[in-house]
Amino acid sequence: MLDFLAQAFLGSPLNQWILATYWLWPVMEITHFIGLTLLMGGLLVVDLRMLGMFNFLSISATHKILPVVLFGFALNLATGILFFVGDPMRYSVNEGFQLKMILVLLAGANAFLFHIRDALNPQSTIVLVLNKVDERIVAGLSLSLWTGVLLLGRLIPYVSTG
Amino acid sequence: MFETLENTSLALWVGESLWAYPGLLSVHIVGLAIVVGLCTIRDLTLLGMFEEIDTKVFRSLNKIAALGFVINAVSGFMLFSSQASIFIQSTPFLIKMSAIVIGMTLACVLHMRLAKEDSKKVTGGTKFIAVFSLLSWLTAIAAGRLIAYL
Repeated sequence: MLDFLAQAFLGSPLNQWILATYWLWPVMEITHFIGLTLLMGGLLVVDLRMLGMFNFLSISATHKILPVVLFGFALNLATGILFFVGDPMRYSVNEGFQLKMILVLLAGANAFLFHIRDALNPQSTIVLVLNKVDERIVAGLSLSLWTGVLLLGRLIPYVSTG
Repeated sequence: MFETLENTSLALWVGESLWAYPGLLSVHIVGLAIVVGLCTIRDLTLLGMFEEIDTKVFRSLNKIAALGFVINAVSGFMLFSSQASIFIQSTPFLIKMSAIVIGMTLACVLHMRLAKEDSKKVTGGTKFIAVFSLLSWLTAIAAGRLIAYL
């Protein structure tokens, strides 16, 4: 699928524009770093509370930070797509990038399953199953997966193109 | 002096090992996310973005933020050592270091203010420091990225 996307983007007007605009790449990188700061900073407060820190604050209060977490993710999704479109042949075959995307999907699924518990019928089978999972596991998975995303993202320029 | 540092066995290992430099860069971004992430959320809370969050939370998170800073001071020094004489002449690098000193100093000032101030009534002075802190971390990130370009 990544090969198909890479072929589709290569030589496209957006690809050409990104390559021709010399200041764009560093600006996108800085934006990507700001996005990861908002995402990880917000999740640290939310997840560490779920892991049992600062019990004087309710879990629902920490969830007020989630829009900022989602905004950070949106910044990084947008800049991430532009990186891919700007240099598709580099990212599509890069094993660091491929593994990073898998971890992003897993982290997203982890958060999605946790939050749909509140939206679905509390008697439905899926909610009954999800309720059996200790929320400390959800929080620990969240921080571990996103840490993995950070580590792999930084390794992209250095890993093999398999 | 910086050439001496570059020729220490530590610096040579960072420069010559296949995995040391990328590995340290990866660790460095995790530390960045912890320190700048927590400082940013603290500053946004002080500026009133999350009304339900008691700012005392950030006193509890002090040790985690300090851990992130230690990770980055160590990994950053090791990265610096391998090309010390080049980094020390880089304007973005020097701006980044200055911004970090300011950001960490303001973090200490805010840590003390959080002990005294009520979460519901954040003073104007504390809000001013929070804005200044946000700007210094933004500068540190931007300048850090630009080291590779300028």
